[in-house]
Amino acid sequence: MKEETTYDAIVIGSGITGGWAAKELTEKGLKTLVLEAGRPIVPEQDYVEHVPPWEMKFRGLRDRRLQREDQPIQSLCYACDEWSSKFFISDKEHPYTTDAGKPFWWIRGRQVGGRSITWGRQSYRWSDLDFEANLRDGIAIDWPIRYADLAPWYDYVEEFAGISGEALGLPQLPDSKFLPPMDLNCAEKVVRDAIAKHFGGERVLTIGRAAVLTKDHQGRSACHYCGPCERGCITRSYFSSLNSTLPAAEKTGRMTLRPFSVVHSLNFDPRTRRATGVRVIDAKTRASVEFRGKVIFLCASALESVRILLNSSTTEFPNGLANSSGELGHNLMDHIKGGGAVGTIPGNEDRMVLGRRPNGTYVPRFRNVKKKDGAFLRGYGFQGGGQREGWQRGVTQTGFGPEFKNSVSKPGPWRFTFYGYGECLPNHNNYVELDKEKGDAWGIPVLKVHCEWGENELALRDDMAVSAAEMLAAAGAHTIEPLRGGDPPGHSIHEMGTARMGRDPKTSVLNAFNQAHDVKNLFLTDGGAMVSSSCVNPSLTYMALTARACDYAVQQLKKGEL
Amino acid sequence: MNRREAMRLLATSAVIPLAPGSVMAMLRDARTVVGTQPAPRTLNPHQEASVRAMAEMILPRTDTPGATDVGASEFIDLMLTEWYEDSERERFLNGLEDVDHRAQSLFAKDFVDCQAIQQAQVLTALGEKMAEETERTPDRGRQLRGSSPRTDESFYPMLRRLILTAYYTSEAGASGKLHFEVIPDHFDACAEVPSTKEGGGRQ
Repeated sequence: MKEETTYDAIVIGSGITGGWAAKELTEKGLKTLVLEAGRPIVPEQDYVEHVPPWEMKFRGLRDRRLQREDQPIQSLCYACDEWSSKFFISDKEHPYTTDAGKPFWWIRGRQVGGRSITWGRQSYRWSDLDFEANLRDGIAIDWPIRYADLAPWYDYVEEFAGISGEALGLPQLPDSKFLPPMDLNCAEKVVRDAIAKHFGGERVLTIGRAAVLTKDHQGRSACHYCGPCERGCITRSYFSSLNSTLPAAEKTGRMTLRPFSVVHSLNFDPRTRRATGVRVIDAKTRASVEFRGKVIFLCASALESVRILLNSSTTEFPNGLANSSGELGHNLMDHIKGGGAVGTIPGNEDRMVLGRRPNGTYVPRFRNVKKKDGAFLRGYGFQGGGQREGWQRGVTQTGFGPEFKNSVSKPGPWRFTFYGYGECLPNHNNYVELDKEKGDAWGIPVLKVHCEWGENELALRDDMAVSAAEMLAAAGAHTIEPLRGGDPPGHSIHEMGTARMGRDPKTSVLNAFNQAHDVKNLFLTDGGAMVSSSCVNPSLTYMALTARACDYAVQQLKKGEL
Repeated sequence: MNRREAMRLLATSAVIPLAPGSVMAMLRDARTVVGTQPAPRTLNPHQEASVRAMAEMILPRTDTPGATDVGASEFIDLMLTEWYEDSERERFLNGLEDVDHRAQSLFAKDFVDCQAIQQAQVLTALGEKMAEETERTPDRGRQLRGSSPRTDESFYPMLRRLILTAYYTSEAGASGKLHFEVIPDHFDACAEVPSTKEGGGRQ
């Protein structure tokens, strides 16, 4: 049978945003092709969250030699472990280049579900503190939308995805439509209460807001607290496109999901000024295949989507399709992380945690919220949490024998960690371009990434260690150790900003509905669209932007405007 | 399939999408394979005997299995053969030799030939040396989740790390001593620590 090559819509990528685009477009009646560069995933076979360490060859210490050879960058991510490394790319097959002395750690997943299989599940709404930030500070360009534009779409995606958390009524971190929050453990309650007492409501500790179900929801089951979500979830208790949106799209009967489809470039018709379709390299046969669609959604991640556009230059767009502004690939951001502190929280020695909660605590941004403070712009939030030390503490203890065995098998002291994630300012000089000297496994030019932290990011990171230590001290902690971090950009895996939205086609790539100014039937709804970075995790905002863009695109399509 | 059935089916392993009976049979087969591993590839018989002796001294069999019961020396041989770098392996093997030097100079015997009390004296001395080293470069046993284990440490902490890892990631060590459950199906944030004789901290 000849393969169908013409569709109403083509979605490139099947991760968090591609899954949402697939669901929304098919549910609105469009015959939709979803192109995924990687392999299909069969949950019943590929998910490994219940494989215990004793069934792993290296007991969870990873296949070190294989990783050094094949995944030297990917293995820098905590989730790329002995179980889940199969959900990360081969660095050998997918190289990229950087400037000497300016590393960028680019962590990627190429399979149906993309990085939504391994993501951290932290889900926070952005606020007008974020959407007005550039305007207020006179930096880069203003967002073309405000919180009110996105609020109903946050409601909409949360209703489907299921976000557990605690409502706080904070203006800088609007509440979601929450499922019940997960509980704080004993040490976390001690720290929460001390912060409430000592910081006059300015700082607050709450349970993380996570796309993990605390009760059955939308046909998916409540979490069973096995712990490592990044290995998959057979009960579909956390949100991923594989667990949630792709099955919904599949149910419409209008989705064609095509794995092993490496997008090379988009085709552009200068006469109609529309993207007419997609050129694909079949990863298995290496054959070149073309598909046509009335509307195209780029959802391949901030860097991969932009790479496709940069590789789709035409006479009219010699520097990449939809790049009349010259901003395509620029303003690359990621959250600066790792500043913080660890301390021992005395007390509660007779208490412990049963079950493994796939979520930590969160301290919403408190710098530069109500008043200007710090010698920096913007702010940061703290992830973290408390846990009792495990048997690992016995490595450097000197004991041995039955008594040692007995004591090291018991839980150790309660340790509490604050781990900061800070906002990154948009900077035109942080950018990606095609490296025409080098191709990937399919001969497509790779990206050259030029990116480094600026002074403001580094100042935020320094401040994280100070404010975290203050809170631990307030909680009566001892043995407080500051964390200074030191990761280059990329490692938060929140890369964004490379095809920013804006009102003016001269300074932005996309309009307020994620539609390319230059190519009306082209939408980009992944992290590339972001105009500033906030300090909170971005995925929930990508979901809301995607659903909103799909709604707009289908309206425009029906009006004959695309 | 409802959630409970799914979890029951997948209680041990999600990679084996078969009926429960076959799952158990396959797991038994897998264990048999583990139990009849080929001879060590890096450790010679003398070195292996030394490792076994030290492993059993550190985590002995009590009313629960000990380090040798769960195959600590086999795991160490695997790590030395397929995981560590040449220089790290050399550091470990030199460390083993040093253990015999210490035993020889104190008791004129190799470590494995020493009496238990003499072996304990050697381990105590190794522990004192380690304590001095950790004083200089503290590692408070804090491991961020998913981070790779240290590979720069000297012989004795390296040995202890391997033995403890082998033990607490084994089925007997994790399920028995730590009461590790693959699928807890509950979360109690501030539960009471069970006060059994063996202690036993659940995870």
